Amino acid sequence: MMAEEARTLTIEITRFDPDRDEVPKTQEYEIQVQDDWKVLDAINYIKDEVDPSLSHRWSCRMAVCGSCGMMLNGEPKLTCKTALSDYDSKLKIEPLANFPIVRDLVVDMDGFMEKFRKVKPWIVRAKERAEDMENLSEKGTFSQSPAQLASFKQFSMCINCLLCYAACPVIANEPEFIGPAAIALGHRYNLDTRDEGDGQRNAIFRGEGTVFSCSFANECSEVCPKNVDPAAAVNQAKLGAVVDWAKGLILPRGGA
Amino acid sequence: MAGAAHPEAMAPPKKGATRTAPPRMPGSWWGAPRIRTYLLFGATGIIYLLAGTVVLRLVWALGNGPDAWDYALGSLSHPLYLIFHALTFVSLIFVGVRAFGTMMPKMQPRNGPFPPLPAAAVRGLIYSVWALLTLLLSLVLSGKIF
Amino acid sequence: MKSLLLKLEPIIWLLFGAGLSIGTMLLTGFVLIVGLAMPMGLVDAGALDYTRAYSLGSSLLGRLVLLGLIALPLWKGAHHLRSLSIDFRGGDRDGIVGGLLYAVAVCSVIGIVAVIRL
Repeated sequence: MMAEEARTLTIEITRFDPDRDEVPKTQEYEIQVQDDWKVLDAINYIKDEVDPSLSHRWSCRMAVCGSCGMMLNGEPKLTCKTALSDYDSKLKIEPLANFPIVRDLVVDMDGFMEKFRKVKPWIVRAKERAEDMENLSEKGTFSQSPAQLASFKQFSMCINCLLCYAACPVIANEPEFIGPAAIALGHRYNLDTRDEGDGQRNAIFRGEGTVFSCSFANECSEVCPKNVDPAAAVNQAKLGAVVDWAKGLILPRGGA
Repeated sequence: MAGAAHPEAMAPPKKGATRTAPPRMPGSWWGAPRIRTYLLFGATGIIYLLAGTVVLRLVWALGNGPDAWDYALGSLSHPLYLIFHALTFVSLIFVGVRAFGTMMPKMQPRNGPFPPLPAAAVRGLIYSVWALLTLLLSLVLSGKIF
Repeated sequence: MKSLLLKLEPIIWLLFGAGLSIGTMLLTGFVLIVGLAMPMGLVDAGALDYTRAYSLGSSLLGRLVLLGLIALPLWKGAHHLRSLSIDFRGGDRDGIVGGLLYAVAVCSVIGIVAVIRL
């Protein structure tokens, strides 16, 4: 460790041990940090050198795996993508907001996985068609133009890091709401020309947990580390629902 | 209020073996600048409700004849009305900028017949319509045209 | 009530969106002249004496604009207050606050009556 680049930083971290603690508490760590560290480096340093009892999730260290999301001074961020030099005096690290806390900085993701599965984030075909399988080697699997790909590519960049769920004021208050990432990914498959599952996903989008719960705080898009812009997906899904509703007025059977 | 989120927020479908601490709101939720803007955006709802009611009152008076109309129009010079309308005007600009600048460009369908326009183009288009409509309505209401 | 509101959600949002966009665009000029400039004496109040106001307001376009000026801001306001009340955990989506939307819908109908009465 090079002394001239190091400085002392006090980091306040949420601690919660379900066996001992009634409620989460905070613990302060005063450590020597280096200027080129990411926040995750500091947490790893504390875990390795200061307090091995600290629990947190991380994996890839390059903003791809989406495991290391935490609240930094109240704002959800990927700790591997956030420079420690952004925080000169005070840094408060908490587990992602809006999620049940399992231990220290680890949250329970199962609620998200359930919502996520509901929107069927995979290609759904109306039925497995014989022609899908025929002559695969000649025509390739499915052809899709660059423009068709561009229509949804942005939404497919989601890494399920849950920052948008931690930021969303509707998620905080309305447990049924399906939420930003699930809508963005469901919408991504609805836009995919190869997909035929719109009906099943729209039943979720327009049923309980409806996309209309969104009150356009735009926080999801503000905090998204991959520029997915879930708020755009939500609004396009709303508009789609309105268009289908109008179609249903004109063509009562064929529309929606 | 760094308080608790809804106790059921992001709750797992089945309770796990270990006890979990309930979900919390982000610490600086109410104080964060973006959230404050968002809450203010929602709060303009009160202004809009009242503004719609004022127009309703005027139209009702217009239907009641000249005396009622003159009285209703005259009452708008009351300082409280003036303050309210000044506040309304500020709200209108604020709502317009947030809705037309941020919300509308995102709403363009991606799989429509035309490729989506760049956000700046949508913004420019809507802002010009807004300005033109305001100009037109102002000229008509102040008796310059028609 | 719950499933009814859920079914009506697209139209509620459409009216909210119309209030947000068309309502804002119409109100800006209206408030500028009728709410501010005229009472402050910057614009001659004679421009909206009864005869002219009536002929403007009772034309087909005038009625449509007036209806937009009444109903659309009401819907925008009601929907925003409903969202805001959820943000402050003041109500469920389908509780009393959601019912406020219906009250506003009734107000819009009174607005329609007022406009037709002209």
